[in-house]
Amino acid sequence: MKPLIDWFCDRTGFDRVWETLFARHIPEAKGPVSWLYTLGSASMFIFTLQAVTGALLAMSYVPDPGHAYDSVRYINEHVLLGGFIHGLHKWGATFMVVVGVLHMLRVYFMGAYKYPRELTWIAGVGLFLLVMGFSFTGYLLPWDQKAYFATAVGTNIAGQTPVVGPYVAKVLKGGSDLGAATLTRFFAFHVLFLPALTGLLIGVHLFLVIWHGISEPPERKS
Amino acid sequence: MEPSTPEDVSRRGFLGRMIFGLGGAIAAVLGGAGGAYFLSPAFKKEAEDWVDIGSASSVKPGMPAKMEFVERKRDAWVTTERRSFAWVLTSNGKDFIAYDPRCTHLGCPYRWDSDKRQFVCPCHTAVFDVDGRVVSGPPPRGLDRFPTKVVGGRLLIRPQPEQVKA
Repeated sequence: MKPLIDWFCDRTGFDRVWETLFARHIPEAKGPVSWLYTLGSASMFIFTLQAVTGALLAMSYVPDPGHAYDSVRYINEHVLLGGFIHGLHKWGATFMVVVGVLHMLRVYFMGAYKYPRELTWIAGVGLFLLVMGFSFTGYLLPWDQKAYFATAVGTNIAGQTPVVGPYVAKVLKGGSDLGAATLTRFFAFHVLFLPALTGLLIGVHLFLVIWHGISEPPERKS
Repeated sequence: MEPSTPEDVSRRGFLGRMIFGLGGAIAAVLGGAGGAYFLSPAFKKEAEDWVDIGSASSVKPGMPAKMEFVERKRDAWVTTERRSFAWVLTSNGKDFIAYDPRCTHLGCPYRWDSDKRQFVCPCHTAVFDVDGRVVSGPPPRGLDRFPTKVVGGRLLIRPQPEQVKA
């Protein structure tokens, strides 16, 4: 094993990559405060969880009004551990929002968004908006009563925007009515566009986190 | 066992091991569940779909009866219905034989000729006797059969044809 690792590191410089990514200096925080620094990693873990469980769910899901509900029921009732994987994805979605918001609050109240880390914050806000997009589009996919009417309300809210509202609502719904075209649209956003954008922004966000290092907790004025 | 001293386990070493241990546990649970979910089709048992095709007493002994039925097939989350029929035969009213209504040559529906007491296929003039054996014509084997059983006076078949060994 050792010669193999050496061979690999010799050709990729991976030992230095490892040092830069994982053995870097991080702020010395004590007590409960130190836990606040785990929220970013926690968000990324949940994103990974959502990607894995989402890919598994997509194996047996059909974004079509005739089959969407039945395919979800098939996952829950007939696929081995299907209910568990679906449950992980559902609860992961909830915790994605909770942990993401807590992470933002920590950065905000510690002033960690200030110079030179503004761009990290901006990328983070972008990620938060993407999470909102995932939540909105993912909520429709089970195609039950709750999903349908939540999306009806959501698209109607968009429709209330002055001037452009009706057009925005039509673009969201893929037509004037909430139906088959809406479901495929939301599915495409949920599994193609949003994950690609999220991967990109996570890359930017993490690069900046490592580039600037993590900010110290603010000191109390004496 | 000696109690471990701070020199044995450094804080850094302990946390490192915790990360890999807990990370490994999480990966094992996720990988196991995800793997089981992904691989489950390989171990899934096929459901035995018996179809009720009518009353057992409606088949007169020695006289093949054409019995129609609706086959409800579950294909994951899609249920399809297919209308089909079977030629059902009994000699004593207890044991039943159900023939797949497709000729074993090229799948044409054959009919019962009650005068000659033979099944005749119009496509290529295949002829089968009442036991399903080939009398004349091109079929490679005798008529395929559906498994049958009688439950509470009702005749049930499984509409997956089985070949009869020659």
